[in-house]
Amino acid sequence: MKVFKISQAELDNMVALWSQSRKVYRPAVGRQQQAQPDYGPGWRKAEGASPLTVPIGPAAGSVKTFLFPQPETMMTYSLKTGDPDRGLMKEPAKLTESQVVVGLRPCDARSVLLNNLPFREDPFYQANLERTVFVGFTCDESLSTCFCEQMGGSPLDSDGLDIAFSRAENGYLAEILTPKGEELMAGLNLAPAANSDITALADRRKERPGKDTAILNTMQGKDLNKLYEAPLWQPLGDSCINCGACTFICPTCYCFDIQDEVVKGSGRRIRYWDSCMFPLYSLHTTGHNPRGRKLQRTRNRFMHKLKYFPERFGPFSCVGCGRCVQDCPVNIDIREVMADLLTVE
Amino acid sequence: MPTINEKISEEIRAQAKKLLAEGTVAAVIGYASGSLPMTVKPLVVRRPEDCGKLLWNTFCVLNLANFLPEVLKSVEPPRGPRDPKPEGPLPKVAIMATGCWSRNIVVQIQEHQVERERVVVMGVGSRGMVSRRKVEALFAGREILAVEELDHDLIVRGSGFEEKINRWSVVRDNCQTCTHPDPLLVDVRIGEPVSDRKNPNPFKQVDELEAKSAAERWGWFTSEFATCIRCYACRNACPLCYCPTCFVDDAKPQWVGKSLDATDTGLFHVMRAYHCAGRCTDCGACESVCPMGINMRLLTKKLNKDVLNLYGIEAGMQPDSPLPLTTYKINDPQKFIVTEAGAGKEGE
Amino acid sequence: MTSKTNETSQTNWEPKIIAFLCNWCSYAGADLAGVSRFQYPPNIRIVRVPCSGRVSENMILSALKSGADGILVSGCHPGDCHYISGNYFARRRFALLGNLLDFIGIEPGRVNFSWVSAAEGEQFAEVVRTVTEKVKELGPATRLVKKIEAMQAA
Ligand code: SF4
Ligand code: SF4
Ligand code: SF4
Ligand code: SF4
Repeated sequence: MKVFKISQAELDNMVALWSQSRKVYRPAVGRQQQAQPDYGPGWRKAEGASPLTVPIGPAAGSVKTFLFPQPETMMTYSLKTGDPDRGLMKEPAKLTESQVVVGLRPCDARSVLLNNLPFREDPFYQANLERTVFVGFTCDESLSTCFCEQMGGSPLDSDGLDIAFSRAENGYLAEILTPKGEELMAGLNLAPAANSDITALADRRKERPGKDTAILNTMQGKDLNKLYEAPLWQPLGDSCINCGACTFICPTCYCFDIQDEVVKGSGRRIRYWDSCMFPLYSLHTTGHNPRGRKLQRTRNRFMHKLKYFPERFGPFSCVGCGRCVQDCPVNIDIREVMADLLTVE
Repeated sequence: MPTINEKISEEIRAQAKKLLAEGTVAAVIGYASGSLPMTVKPLVVRRPEDCGKLLWNTFCVLNLANFLPEVLKSVEPPRGPRDPKPEGPLPKVAIMATGCWSRNIVVQIQEHQVERERVVVMGVGSRGMVSRRKVEALFAGREILAVEELDHDLIVRGSGFEEKINRWSVVRDNCQTCTHPDPLLVDVRIGEPVSDRKNPNPFKQVDELEAKSAAERWGWFTSEFATCIRCYACRNACPLCYCPTCFVDDAKPQWVGKSLDATDTGLFHVMRAYHCAGRCTDCGACESVCPMGINMRLLTKKLNKDVLNLYGIEAGMQPDSPLPLTTYKINDPQKFIVTEAGAGKEGE
Repeated sequence: MTSKTNETSQTNWEPKIIAFLCNWCSYAGADLAGVSRFQYPPNIRIVRVPCSGRVSENMILSALKSGADGILVSGCHPGDCHYISGNYFARRRFALLGNLLDFIGIEPGRVNFSWVSAAEGEQFAEVVRTVTEKVKELGPATRLVKKIEAMQAA
């Protein structure tokens, strides 16, 4: 692994250089920028944004929008009379154009890896993963709503990133972690980091290792049925309004639905974000809905993240970014839900 | 000395406890404290001993009427979908209500979603609720860790700072322009009544936009809704939205597409607002809950203005007359009809 | 103001106008215009509905979304509704919808409402002429129009 020492000016130059040949995105900062996104909700083109600064805590928009866009076109077709290809489903031209996401935090980087577990055979997710380079910034400061460590992550970690920037004296340390990262850095004339800087970072990591597994282990020891029947769901079901806010802003919620859209004979089949909080999500064609009550839907979101997903894949399906904690309109706080679940006997 | 809202909280707890202990109601809908500064949790209390959790403060932005139909159903004895309604009166539910929330309850009664006899309204005069977003905007880039509420000020604390700000300056726009802060329905009065506010022009924001050109208004519309993630929090927070299947969920025909296409998002917002015409009380819940900070309330406000100007009705203010779109007058204005003499824009 | 920006497209382009006509008055009016051989522009595509009260905002907005350059909703004159009061309810709804669409910046003249009776063949032709004129002035619709072809790629 190569490690470089990079000043703020060099970073800004790098971003400008990358922008010449690819799309480079950074988190939108503040309401005004968020109102004019260049990509998905919450991301702006990085050009001209110097000095590039990354706000404390996770970006307003989660990174899933790059890998699991809202919507993804899966097929296209024509229904025009006389069209020789009428009714033929066509694969859309595969997107291969390289894009760079600058400024994501370790929690979001980890979400890319977690979502990759259920999506490992998904051609769309994989194609997007292939063409996206993640340039992240580790966290020396965090928000009061951050809890990545409890969920098995760490604020200084670089898992899931191609290039990790960490604070160093008068600039940053850039760790080049993958071939994709190396390719992005190719041809740049940069100073290798001094050993002292590298040890300083290693020391900080040792001091704050994160990656707690205590909660995960306790949770895995719990009986699923007991958790399912626990009385704690009642007040949550009462207060949750079943909006999908938490699931849409969450980097690790990945449920989708598929629909066809046709306008004037041109059609496309799209995959778009869905939410287990919506009644339609679990409605059967018979009219039966196994999760017909609010409480059942609210319970599903948390049980999925904290129990079903770990049983199936190992880790929690939550990276502790705290977005849902901040934005749930009825203040359902996953940290409190987790604490309550841990007391269920 | 306790603040006004602390005194109100005390009263709420006492009254709720009394109602539950006496068996007058089976549940009380109120608020409990939240896990972050400036947040509260809606809470349904079913046992007198849990009433201690109830509180009232200046951050109660969600409209509790939204929970009423569901909670009413939850306290009924269980029965199958085809079973007849049981004999005798069904259990009651008590609910906290300010001016706008009580008007929403009136609308729910008018629309037969709620039976008047089953609701005990604990009316509180609203002093205006604070917008968390406005406070956060004042401290952009600095995380707020605690906010203490005084009667006329807020004390905002974070790591390394403590500032006092005027409460009214960060009160939500809808509350600042509200003219009827006192509840219309009151069964149990909490605190002192609040008199109507004189407001020279509650529709100022709407007027400003109307004065612009069509192109400018289109520019506003497209940029305001550009960040919508279609989470439908605005819809779900609204006490008017109770349809079992919303128009956005219809697939055949598909009225609006489901992705983030600008046209679909725009259509969703036009339709959502339009479905609230003549029913919206400008409670501001929709705007307060949007994770993207979108001001979709301006659309319903525009409709409120037209309903008032054209038909003389404010939602929920006349419990005994029909809702504006379920009735008509022979001589309703119709300048917008192209075949009429002097055709033009309605309401001018 | 948007007119005459592009001469060639202006001359070749003919607007498509979707007309929702109530069965009892306006549709019969259109019929009368036809049998009486009153001339009116061929730009309208008629959708027959039982009553103007049946026309919901969903239909109007769907037509816009699908690329209609203009919309006309026409019912019986007030007092003449076959169902007694359908058009009175419709009148309130259309007044509010028209204003809301105007508010978000849809050009005035895109979405039109009229009353035409079964006996008013000439008046029907006149309404269609007025509406077509207005829509031609405005040019092709772009606002609230969904374009799928452009999105097929991504
Ligand atoms: S938990 Fe909160 S954000 Fe999620 S659906 Fe319920 S109310 Fe909405
Ligand atoms: S559940 Fe909440 S804290 Fe966890 S990853 Fe999702 S948004 Fe972040
Ligand atoms: S539309 Fe918004 S302001 Fe109006 S009643 Fe619904 S939530 Fe309240
Ligand atoms: S709450 Fe906000 S982001 Fe969610 S659908 Fe409504 S306007 Fe869009």
